[in-house]
Amino acid sequence: MKLLTKTTVYFLLIMLPIFAGGAFYLFGKFSKEIKHETDEELVNDKLQWLRYLDTAGINSPIFTLSTLEFNLTPTDLPVQSRHKLSGVTLYQETEDSESPFRQLSQVISIHGKNYQMVLRKSMIEKDDLIKNVIQVMLFAFSGLLFFVLLSNWFISKKIWKPFYSSLDKIQRLQLNKLEAVTFEHTDTHEFNQLNAALNNMTNRVHTDYTNMKELTEDAAHEMQTPLAIAQSKLELLLQDDTLSEEQLKAILLSYDELQRLSRLNHNLLLLAKIENQQYPVTEQPDLHTMVEKYLLLFEELIREKQLTIQKEMVDTAPWPLHPALTDIMVSNLLGNAIKYNYLHGTINIRLTTNSFSISNTSQIHEIPADMLFQRFKKQSNGYTNSNGLGLAIIKKIADSYQLTLTYGYENGWHTFTMNTGL
Amino acid sequence: MKVLIIEDEPALRASIQQYLEHQGYICELAADFKQAMDKVNEFEYDCIVADIGLPLGSGLDVVKELKLLESKAGIIIISAKDSLEDKLSGLELGADDYLTKPFHLSELTARINAILRRKNFDGNTTIIFFEITVKPASKTVLVHDKSITLTGKEYQLLLYFIANQHRVVTKSALAGHLWGDAYDQAGSYDFIYTHIKNLRKKMLEAGGEDYIKTVYGTGYRFG
Repeated sequence: MKLLTKTTVYFLLIMLPIFAGGAFYLFGKFSKEIKHETDEELVNDKLQWLRYLDTAGINSPIFTLSTLEFNLTPTDLPVQSRHKLSGVTLYQETEDSESPFRQLSQVISIHGKNYQMVLRKSMIEKDDLIKNVIQVMLFAFSGLLFFVLLSNWFISKKIWKPFYSSLDKIQRLQLNKLEAVTFEHTDTHEFNQLNAALNNMTNRVHTDYTNMKELTEDAAHEMQTPLAIAQSKLELLLQDDTLSEEQLKAILLSYDELQRLSRLNHNLLLLAKIENQQYPVTEQPDLHTMVEKYLLLFEELIREKQLTIQKEMVDTAPWPLHPALTDIMVSNLLGNAIKYNYLHGTINIRLTTNSFSISNTSQIHEIPADMLFQRFKKQSNGYTNSNGLGLAIIKKIADSYQLTLTYGYENGWHTFTMNTGL
Repeated sequence: MKVLIIEDEPALRASIQQYLEHQGYICELAADFKQAMDKVNEFEYDCIVADIGLPLGSGLDVVKELKLLESKAGIIIISAKDSLEDKLSGLELGADDYLTKPFHLSELTARINAILRRKNFDGNTTIIFFEITVKPASKTVLVHDKSITLTGKEYQLLLYFIANQHRVVTKSALAGHLWGDAYDQAGSYDFIYTHIKNLRKKMLEAGGEDYIKTVYGTGYRFG
């Protein structure tokens, strides 16, 4: 739930009982007022009647008047000096229902005779009053609701703007572009605190990241020299005729492992360099030529496995990629297609001006998506001389140079496709 | 053939020296930028092997100095930095080749050999190893004056072997030489055997001696 929706809901939940209470209070207040007014009118009427009856009633010694509003009946009760006010409910013929009335009753004496006088006034307005009060309250409530929504919309547009802009920045944050991110000063204290904290955090993360990266690169570079020394010493040692076969084998093994280490080192450096965009797109090498070059280079490997190569290629396909990376892309993809193929297998190569795909048959099952481009995730144990970085490098190339790399598996065919964004 | 080795790591310097001297080169050594500049200004060399990262200066400046002196020496840069800019600027300054550390000593020797061939005789030279004659200009190989037909890779192998004659060269060094960076993709070195077998067969058929010896499964030795 959005913060604003939440505050709105809470606000309305709080306002609802307040409004209901207000409605009750208003109703009580109004009805009391009306009762008071009605009673005053009744007393007023009584005085009028008394004045009239004093003068008009001489010729008719005994009379009885009975209407809903005015009732005058002879009685034996003693004269009351004070009137009595009360509320009654009476049946009304016209509306066929019970209606509330205020009534004033008093025993009075007219020309020596006692009469019970009852004056009544309808309180029918009370129903309307409730209706009116509820109406007013509803109107006020919906007006308030509308106002709250409107002001929230306005607040979110205006006051929360810096917050949302910071949020947007955090969402688009990339580790290698941290130095470009700053959270600006706003005119809200809390947001300033937040942005200051975020600035602090990104700076720290950026410094850590840069240090880490530099350390990796420096370490990789520094490692090359000792590797070169060790490798050269072993190569010289291999020349020694006096060594036994066992000793030579041990030396060769160390020698080969040293090379694996240096290749690993080389590839890790390469990954870092691609990520740092150290291979600018300055020319557009022809992918067709590149593919043919590697087909020739891998000729024996293809012949050894007796692979069938099916090609569907446009004559020229200039790709916006650094030649060194184009080399790596083609050699890695083609190399994998050969390496993980089986005897008498097939490789399909399709090349258009904006798409390059290599499919190959293989005994390896479909590669799970989460493993596919992971570093050091080797797909199969049966294949040595793999450092598990080949696909990670291609993926890194794709990510860093706006290319898309997709993988598909169908009926024993593995397909890798590179697309330019065009 | 005189080679100047400019390298600040004593152990590596010694390895290169030992290997090259065994192949018949005369080696001189420089451990830092100053020594290198002194030697370059004082003596003539056929080939210079220069590290880029040196105490007191950069190997690239040595290359500049050599070009100022209009030296005819072949130049190979060896660097721990596998950086493209270094490679390009090195070659632009007039270096003939670039090798990234770590490298095979046999590869370095083969490269020096190739540069010297190109430099000293403009490629119009013949390499003679007993009954084998190689004419790099036309890429032809003669055994007992009879021409034999080699594939591109067999030809490269033969030159590599001659440059590193009498030394054990490992399969990985051969693979690296033939396939470059892409040899990662090879999966195994078994296919080298096929090339060696064919090369040996062709030379034997032409009446040549069997110079390629398999060394305990570690590699091969030529001659």
